[in-house]
Amino acid sequence: MKRELKTTMHCLFCTALFLFFLTGNSQAGIDGITGTTFALTVKTGRVNTPDGASLLLWGYANGNDPAQYPGPTLIVNQGETITITLSNELTVTGTGPAPNVSMVFPGHQATSSLSNPGVPGILANEARPGDSVTYTFTATHPGTYLYYSGTDPALQVEMGLLGAIIVRPSDGSSYAYNHPDTQFDREYLFLLSEMDPRIHEVVELDGAEGLAATDYLSNPFPVVWFINGRNAPDTLDQPGTGSLPNQPYNSAPLVHPGERLLMRVIGGGKDLHPFHHHGNHARIIARDGRLLESIPGAGPDLSHEVYTIQSVPGETVDAIFQWTGKGLNWDIYGTPEAGPQFVHDCTDGDADDYDDTTYEYCPDHGKKFPVILPDNLDLAFGGFYSGSPYFGNLGSLPPGEGGLNPFGGYAFMWHSHTEKELTNFDIFPGGLMTMLVIVPQGAPIP
Amino acid sequence: MTTIYNYIKSVPVVTGLFLCLASLPANGGILVQCPGDADGSADWAGGETQPANTKCLHLSSGDGFVTMADGKLQYIFGFSNLTGIPANVETGTADILAAGSLAANFPAPPIVLDEGDDVYLTLTNIGMLNRPDLFDPHSVHFHGFPQSSAIFDGLPDSGVSINMGSSLTYYYKPNDPGTYMYHCHVEAAEHMQMGMLGSLYVRAGQNGETHTYKGKNFTMFAYNDGDGSTGYDKEYPIQIGSFDSAFHDASIDVQPLPFATMFDNYPMLNGRGYPDTVNPDPLTPPVENGEKPSQNESTLITASPGESVLLRISNLNVTRLYTLGTLGISMRVVGKDAKLLRGPDGKDLSYKTSSITLGGGESTDAILDIPAGTTPGTTYFLYTKNLNYLSNDAEQFGGMMTEIRIN
Repeated sequence: MKRELKTTMHCLFCTALFLFFLTGNSQAGIDGITGTTFALTVKTGRVNTPDGASLLLWGYANGNDPAQYPGPTLIVNQGETITITLSNELTVTGTGPAPNVSMVFPGHQATSSLSNPGVPGILANEARPGDSVTYTFTATHPGTYLYYSGTDPALQVEMGLLGAIIVRPSDGSSYAYNHPDTQFDREYLFLLSEMDPRIHEVVELDGAEGLAATDYLSNPFPVVWFINGRNAPDTLDQPGTGSLPNQPYNSAPLVHPGERLLMRVIGGGKDLHPFHHHGNHARIIARDGRLLESIPGAGPDLSHEVYTIQSVPGETVDAIFQWTGKGLNWDIYGTPEAGPQFVHDCTDGDADDYDDTTYEYCPDHGKKFPVILPDNLDLAFGGFYSGSPYFGNLGSLPPGEGGLNPFGGYAFMWHSHTEKELTNFDIFPGGLMTMLVIVPQGAPIP
Repeated sequence: MTTIYNYIKSVPVVTGLFLCLASLPANGGILVQCPGDADGSADWAGGETQPANTKCLHLSSGDGFVTMADGKLQYIFGFSNLTGIPANVETGTADILAAGSLAANFPAPPIVLDEGDDVYLTLTNIGMLNRPDLFDPHSVHFHGFPQSSAIFDGLPDSGVSINMGSSLTYYYKPNDPGTYMYHCHVEAAEHMQMGMLGSLYVRAGQNGETHTYKGKNFTMFAYNDGDGSTGYDKEYPIQIGSFDSAFHDASIDVQPLPFATMFDNYPMLNGRGYPDTVNPDPLTPPVENGEKPSQNESTLITASPGESVLLRISNLNVTRLYTLGTLGISMRVVGKDAKLLRGPDGKDLSYKTSSITLGGGESTDAILDIPAGTTPGTTYFLYTKNLNYLSNDAEQFGGMMTEIRIN
């Protein structure tokens, strides 16, 4: 253990979460841009990583906004015709010209517009430097999709040219697909990716032609890993924070007990990532924007539950996560033995085994905490520990401990289980990791 | 190798133990909590009464050594099983400290639970004898446990972990059968690469019933299937793992830990590379451990013609995904991540395959249905299809492979 590092990271977490909870001005759910017509621009920017590095970014931007990693999440509705004009404002170092750029839309039948077709490339029509190309597709299928550059993708996707598309089903925005079993209360995006800083350094110093003297593109060795374009602990910072001008999206899921949380998990990079979600199983209902159903209209009858989502490059996974604490066999809301503040009822008027308001699992009501916890001196505390084993309760902690969990929720790490990826270029902790916090009913969720 | 390693090799281990004991608090915080057990042995020997459906375990966390299949000695962090040694005694805790020092196992002792048990798992953090500069807390993360609480999740960030010289008792009520795994979650990239990993599975409540599936009667089942389709005659936990020897060498040498360049060169099943995997006995313990056995889990699979063999496969390596496959016989995959492979309305999602790909933190339950007419003496193989990992560092041919011998 390196104590000083832990303290530093603790402070970063602390600042991020403190702001996140107390300012409460972040957008709910999934940040992105909506509409049927989009104007995206490719330009350069910087990806800041928590180890202190700043990597050259080639990113998609929303019009004249800064380039961003990942590109703007396009949120559209099923059945609409989507038009995207992509302008190439990329500038490069070195002797060569700036490259063409493009977009591909796996899962949809996109064409280049006749009025602005760009120039033909291998996977897609492309925009030349200073020029543009317009793509059109009909959002025939709801679901979660990835878009990325179809031009020299080994380089351009590594440099940052990727983003997500969410297609809302005809049934409405609280559904993932057109079936009642896909309804959700909250949704969060987990766009997983990685970078090899050597590639970014060569492109910045010598231009892309400098890579010809290396095997970096054919044999990449990533050392930084991202969720939604950020490394932990920046994943937990506010969306749109000024310290990350080209990384506007965060990953800080919050949910109440009993709510259905839709995880939209995208393999955005070139590696596989086993994405382990602590807390409970999740039911995978769709892959690549197609419901796991045996016949149309059946609903996700071929769905199954996992505790780790194997995220594969280019693939999207939609999964429903729900947590109540059912069956723990002790009353997580506390019993009178623990103190008068824990006296409470479990009222199950609708006979679903859960309290009608708090979602407490009533069969566990009144069962006391099963063990004696050690003295504080014998324990090391996490920043997300509330000081109490009871849900929604804040216990006493030694000075300087805790502090990231103002509502006494239960925090669970959602992370790559290739644990090597919990680092930022040799520094633990960080990387492909965030914290889900389950907060009591009534606690505000932005 | 540097000074500490040589020191351990040359000085009698007893001296090391003595130093270890002297460095810990006199009473520490060692406390084993187990209903019906008065002496802290986590069992009910000596006239104590075991409450119904109660299971207790006492694990220690500390360090030790293991031997790779090519003879390479590796320094590890790990767990060992202290169940059966009285801990809550007036005379002190010398027995516990002696048993838990330099006792790290790889993989960690397999934990076998029954659905519906009340499980009391006490972790006593003995500390790392070879790294007196470290004062790391440790934890037990019951990986995949459904409907977790924060306090018993073993995640240091959201709960508590236990300091050296003290004990923490975890309580679990495993309501859902299946194949899980456990590991220390403190500084996970380091502690898991160093070896704090093990198998954990929950046997189904349906066990003991008799179900007939495809003409065969079964009394043991991977899941509560209702129809015997996950019935088995024998079960084997198989944990995929791998070590980066440069990382372990850096740890024993007290050097900066190479996270960025981590690249595993010792692929293993249950903590051994082939051919050690098919050794049915514990491996000869390194003298550096004080001759405490540290690699107790064989992966030799034996079965008779007509038997169904359940492979409880989990992956807890920290660097990459591995594909594990069979040669000569196919696997019937009936479970994934401790869930029966069925849709919400019961549709059968099981399938037959000769290869499964698992990332860290994933598990699969696969059944080998040995044909009744198989000739005794037949050997099938289970090995990684990432063929470059059929190696023990530079030594071919070994690594992530074992044998299925039909007798």
